[in-house]
Order: sequence, then C-alpha cells, then structure tokens
Amino acid sequence: MCQRIDHRRSIFCILPPYMLSKISQNGTPQQRAKALTTMSTDSTLRAMRLAQVPLRAPSVLTRGMPVEGQKQRTIYTAHHTVELPGNLIRKEGAPPCGDAAADEAYDALGATFDFYWDIYDRNSIDDEGTHMKATVHFDKDYNNAFWDGQAMVFGDGDGDIFNRFTLSLDVIGHELTHGVVGDEAQLQYFHQSGALNESVSDVFGSLVKQYLLKQTADKADWLIGAGLLTSRIKGVALRSMKAPGTAFDDSLLGKDPQPAHMKNFVRTFDDNGGVHINSGIPNHAFYLAATSLGGHAWEKTGRIWYEALRDKQVRPNTGFQRFAKITLRNASRLYGTSSVEAKAVREAWNQVGIKTS
Amino acid sequence: MRIQFKIEGGLVYLPGLNRPVIIDLADLPLPEADELQELLTLTRFFDLPSRAGKFSAKAADHRQYKITVENAEGDSHTILLTDVVDDPNLRRLLAFLKKKAALATKKK
Repeated sequence: MCQRIDHRRSIFCILPPYMLSKISQNGTPQQRAKALTTMSTDSTLRAMRLAQVPLRAPSVLTRGMPVEGQKQRTIYTAHHTVELPGNLIRKEGAPPCGDAAADEAYDALGATFDFYWDIYDRNSIDDEGTHMKATVHFDKDYNNAFWDGQAMVFGDGDGDIFNRFTLSLDVIGHELTHGVVGDEAQLQYFHQSGALNESVSDVFGSLVKQYLLKQTADKADWLIGAGLLTSRIKGVALRSMKAPGTAFDDSLLGKDPQPAHMKNFVRTFDDNGGVHINSGIPNHAFYLAATSLGGHAWEKTGRIWYEALRDKQVRPNTGFQRFAKITLRNASRLYGTSSVEAKAVREAWNQVGIKTS
Repeated sequence: MRIQFKIEGGLVYLPGLNRPVIIDLADLPLPEADELQELLTLTRFFDLPSRAGKFSAKAADHRQYKITVENAEGDSHTILLTDVVDDPNLRRLLAFLKKKAALATKKK
C-alpha cells in the first residue's frame, strides 16, 4: 500500500490507524502534522482499494493532464466514403452544425460521458479524460455502427431496413461502452466472453438512456436500438433485454434469435460465435436484478455490474458463470452478503440458468 | 466465374440476412460482368492474402466480408475483408459486391 507514495513516512506505514490517531492528538506539532498527512493518504488508499480503483503509475497520472469531468468530443464526417476519420464537422463547444447525424452523435456522446462521470466518477472511456471521437455518414446506405478500437463509426442506414444509427442514444452508449470494456476488461470478442462484452455494452447503453430520461427500472423500455428499424420492418428494436428474442420477427430479417435462458444457448460459429445472440442471457439477468430491486437501475444493479467489470478477476476469456460470480461478490462487498441486493443478483442469474454457488 | 459474397458481424445478428449472395458473371448484364471481371483482374484476387483491411483486436460490432471466387477451371479462393481497405481496386470490388448484396436483400 505504501510503495506508490512518493514521500512516504515509513514508520507510519506499519502503524495501525488507532495509533496514528493517538499521535495526531497527543504528539509534538511535527509528529501530529506527519500523522495527519499519513492518515489522510491512508484513508484515501483504503477507500480506493475498497472501490477497487486501479492505482495508476505516476507517468500515467501526469500524461496529457485531462481536466476531470470535462468532456472533449470531436465529430467527423466520412461524406459517405469509407475514409476514417473523415473531415472535422463539429468539435467541443461548437454550436450545432445543422447536420442531424453529427449533432445527434455530439449530444449522445455528451450524455454518455455525463452518465459515466455523474454516476461512476469515470472520466471518459479510459477514465483519464480521453477525447471521444465519432465519424458519421460512413459509406453509402451503411446498415451498421461499430467501435473501431479507438472511435465510433455510424452509418446512415439504407432507409429501407434501417434508419440512421445516430438516432439511438442507447446504441451510441453501447458503442462507447465497448471502449470502456476494452480499457477495463479486454474481453475477447468471440463466444461467451464476446457475448459478455456485448451484454455489458447493452447494459450501460440502456442505462445511459434511462439516466437521461430519469426512468425507473419499471418504466424503462429495455430495448436496444428502438426506432432504428424502418416502418417497413416488423420489429421494435435490435434487441430486448426484458424479453430477449422478441425484438423483431420479419419476413426479410427473420426472427430475433436471442435466448433468455442457458437452456436455449446457441452454439454457432456465425456472429463471432454468437456474441449478439447469447448476450440475451446476461442481458436478461441484468434486467431481472434491476427490476427486482426497483428504482433507478444505474444506482444499484448498474453499480454492481460496473464494479464487476472493473474487478481484477475478470479475464479476457471470462464466461457467463464466472462473471455472474463476480457480480455476486461485488454485490456482497457493496451491500452485504445477506443484503437484498446480493439476493436479487443471485436470483437473477439463477433465473437465466446460471448458478453462482 | 462465380462469386459468393457474405456479410458477417455487425451491431445485430439478423438471421434472414445471414446467407451469402451468389453472383454468376454469366447472369450479369455485359457492362457489369466486364466491370467485375476487370476488378478481379486488377486486384489479382487469386493472389490476395486470406485477410485484408484494417483489423483491430479492440474493435466491436464491425462487419467483415467473406468473398469466394470460383473460376472456370474450378479453382477457388476466399478472402475476408473489413470495411476499411487501403487498396483502391479492392475497395471498388467491395463496393460493387455490397451494392449487389443490397439489391438482393431489398425489402419487397
């Protein structure tokens, strides 16, 4: 604990807090000052350890000097080509540029940043205030949005199956969360770890929208990408966390293939091993826990999932069961082993067919 | 010559669109067949590596495109591409095939 402090007082590193407290009250003025400094540092480090905030190396702390809580957004347009990042169209602090997709992306990046900062004290994608970048108008009739490892990229849709992807706040929150997942857990993008990567991005994408709308869990739609499918398609969204497998059922697109329970887990090599298919299972577990606890889902269930994502026990190949156990351990750590929160998390995973003990 | 084109990945898995589009040069109008033949020649398709385009291990929801070309002699070659390709001829080939696939999956 003491090794990362530049000007540590070695004697105080081995003293228990009650002795430091006594020195701070009864020591000489010099001893009291040193004891108070040590107590302050010690309590901060204890709090960080409790919250599992990673201790950054000094070189990282001084890099770039980001201002805490100050968002930095840059929006580019690809002008319907596949050139990335394209041309700058709006940067931080500039007024709306009149390009609907660019202004939607700018606002949604802001809402996502605010959510992570307000709720989890997270300073942007990497928690170090990194600039958030997005490119709109990618390619022609492009029916997709993706995270390229550094920035978000949005197509305008073909107008036949999809509308433009910047219409959906939760999709933008989803894409930015892929950056957060990459920074915290590096979950491999295939099979269960990939489906978990997708699910975590859906969870926080949905919470970004719920937070902006100040919705409680029972009032949220729990849909990902509502409004992205055109009126010609029979469907309401890309995915449903509340009822996986019911988002669309269309003659062209087929039926939403998401399972809600492990008994219907899909084994496939398509879709990177079903990352957008089997994500329905952990998605539904989150929904069940959040609605069981009630209130604002970002406060308790979201906090548990966020702490789980940042838990050192999450490895690149972490699957559903391991992650379920990590969420339960974090629920117990935050709220107590016998708490209603821990019970809700355990029962939610149990209901989707995942045992946590 | 026959080309099989399949879009993989993306933000959502759509079962109905998860099937390859088959393009037979013999079935295309002559100008299109000529254009496609020219693109395959310019890209030296049969000499291309199995993966082309920019891949990032941290990327998510990105699309990939599987292209298989089978020539008159029965030889075939398959490559996997991403959206972001440097080679302008390969980019043109991908754009051509994307357009064909979009027409094939147009909502009736």
